[in-house]
This record gives sequence, structure tokens and C-alpha cells, in this order.
Amino acid sequence: MSGLPFTRPFPSLLRLLVLAALSVGVSLYSVEHPNLRQVGLSAAEPLLWLNGQLRDAWQATSQYLQSQTTLRQENAALRQRVHVLEMENLALPVLRTENQQLLALLDSFPTAPGRVAVAQIEAQNLRNGSQQITINLGTAEGVYVGQPALAPGGVIGQVVTVSPNNARISLLSDLSSAIPAKPLGGNDPCLVEGRGNLHGLSVPFQPHATPLVPGTELVTSGLGGRFPPGLPLGVVKSVEHASNGPFAQVLVRPSANLAALNTILLLWPQTRNAAHS
Amino acid sequence: MKAGALVFGFVLVFLAESLPLGPLYAQLHPDFIALFILYWALSSSQPLSYFVIWLIGLVQDLIFGRVPGSDAISLVLMLALLYAWIARVRRLPPWEQLFFIFFLLLAQSLGSWLWQAWAGPIVWHNALLLSAALGAALWPLFTFVLDRLQHHWPRRKG
Repeated sequence: MSGLPFTRPFPSLLRLLVLAALSVGVSLYSVEHPNLRQVGLSAAEPLLWLNGQLRDAWQATSQYLQSQTTLRQENAALRQRVHVLEMENLALPVLRTENQQLLALLDSFPTAPGRVAVAQIEAQNLRNGSQQITINLGTAEGVYVGQPALAPGGVIGQVVTVSPNNARISLLSDLSSAIPAKPLGGNDPCLVEGRGNLHGLSVPFQPHATPLVPGTELVTSGLGGRFPPGLPLGVVKSVEHASNGPFAQVLVRPSANLAALNTILLLWPQTRNAAHS
Repeated sequence: MKAGALVFGFVLVFLAESLPLGPLYAQLHPDFIALFILYWALSSSQPLSYFVIWLIGLVQDLIFGRVPGSDAISLVLMLALLYAWIARVRRLPPWEQLFFIFFLLLAQSLGSWLWQAWAGPIVWHNALLLSAALGAALWPLFTFVLDRLQHHWPRRKG
């Protein structure tokens, strides 16, 4: 190893400076050429495959090792949950009819959110405000950059890099994430931004007279066409008014539990025209 | 360090670095790649190439979707700091080395953090400190396991 370049011929400081300059060059190159990140994701495929095997083995082992008592308790809880859901389902046909009537009144058309595919998490990167996960679906399954990702509860983020067999999703909490939103039942557009924290998002640039109050549900507005409108994003947790700041600080709790992601749903939104045809 | 053990060790630490074991693990796990490079540098009789370490850091950046160059340069800085004290560190038993290891891991994390701060928005998280502390706490066990691995690794014939 010592025979490789940059070991001896130059003094340490000079070598460090050259490598620092190289790092700056690579960073700047990656801004201009996002394909570099795609190459990285493709190179990571064997590692991600191994990770997937280890995850499956771990899950199988932990299921096998569960005690009979735990399984019985879990079974009883699930039966109870089924009863509750059956009761809730009774009201569903009525609500569906009402919803279709209301949408017709609003000159809108009920559209299914679109086709979905289930993906498993292969790797996580949750450091330094970067909140990204890697999943086991890629361009081979039709995944594309900008595709919405969902989990039980609502939206969790969107695809930012994709390779043939894997895709990297930037979570809502990622510092570079911003999604057009609006309050449920309202039309005031806003943005939901990540803060580098899995449990809290923010709504920037809200005046002190903002209509958002704690408990307001935020959904995707559909602006930009990337996310279909009406998907749950989060619930306003608090609205703080600093006396010297021009804007209110609005904190939002994500609808989906970003800290307990297991199965991810990728959504191929159905366009309005496709829904009609 | 034997070449086979080196490759096997790198595969293991890259795996450990990306295991999907939940957000707590993802935020708090020690930087296994940095730990492995420290072990490699301390157990090797010749100085490691900064350029090779820079390349390993670049691969790490690309695989884990970080700002390209951030881990590359911070690993090189960590190695340069280690070489400034390497004679002293080598004389210490593993449980005393862990103070230096903590300092070096923290320096590496800070280097990477600052690089990413230069490249875009970023937040400070105490997980950086905890991760370095955990890495240092695991150092005696880490060296013990890798010493055994090296010892039992089959020798090349001829």
C-alpha cells in the first residue's frame, strides 16, 4: 500500500493541500453532474443486496425467537383492532358517496392516488441533517427521480437518486426537502420544509396572522405536479410568535412516523386525463 | 495487515455502516470505517497512503449519498492527526488509547460536518459527540476482534 502515489514524494502539508483541492473539485463537479451520485448508488448495489439479506435474516430470527406469550398477546390485540376497523368500515360507503357528491360540487373528479409498489429499506443515512434512506426498487421497476414515497400515515418524501435496482429517498425531514402544502379544507398555500429532525418539520414565511393553528392538518397542495393533492403531510404542533421576527415559527409533526419506517410505498400518481380515460 | 483480512474487514465495516437497524442506530453508531482505518494505521509498520485513504473516503461519500469529498478529506485529516502522535499512541494499551481515539473520531466527524456546512444547509446534532464517544468506548473490543481476525486469517502459501 505504501508504494501507491502520494506516500513519500511530497511533504505532508503539500499532500493535504492537494487532497483538499481535489475534494473541493469533486464537490463542485458533483453539483454540476448529479450523475456522479447515481454512479455511487449503482456501485453500492452489492453492499445493499448484502444488507437486504442481513435484514431478512434478522427479521426471520427475531420472529422465530418471539415467545408464545408475546404472540398470543399480539394476536388478541390484532383481533380487537379488526373489530374496531370493522365498525369504522360500516361508515365508509356513506362517506364515499358524500365525498363524490362534494367533489362533483367543486367541479373536481375523484381520482385514485395511482399505482403503488412496496419497497424495503436497504440502508439509512440520518446524519448531519441529511435524512435519506435507500430502498430495493430502481429504474428496472420504473422508479424515477421526484417520485412520491408514502408510508402508513402519509407522505414520507421523494426519490432523489435512482439506479437500476435501488433508489435513494430524501425524507420530509431532510434539510433540502420542501413540499408544497395547504391546510386540509383550506386553500392557503404554504411549504413544509425539513429541519434535519425526524420528529419535526417547519412551515417557513408564515405571517403573524397565519391561519395555521396547533392541530391544523396539512396536506399536499398538488402545486408543481409532483405530488397528487390531498396526501397527508403533518399536523401543526405549535405556532410561536417571536416579537422581533417578521414571521411566525410554525412547527409540524409529520403524519407518518419517520422514525419507525419499515415498509415504503412508492406512488405513480395517476394523471387526471388517465383517470378519465 | 494481511491483504485478505483488510478486504474482509472493509466489507464488514461498510456493511455495519449502512445496516438498516432503525434511526437510533443510524444516528449513534460509531464511524466503523474511520475506526478500521485507525486500526489499520496503528497496526501497519509503514505509513498509509493519504491518497488511498482519500479514495476510500470518496467511495464512502458516494455509496452513502453524502457530499462527495466530505468524508474523503476528513478521513485524511484524521490520519494526519494520528501520525502526529503515532509513536506515543502505539505505546499505550488499548484502554488508554481510547482517549486519543475519541479525539480523532470527533475531529473526523467535525471535519465532515464542516465540509457539509460549506456545501449546503446542515444542523448540529449531539449524536456526533455520542457517536465518537461510542466509537472510543468500543475501541478495545474492536482491536481485540481485529487482532484475533488477523491472527487466524490463513497465510498466503509460497
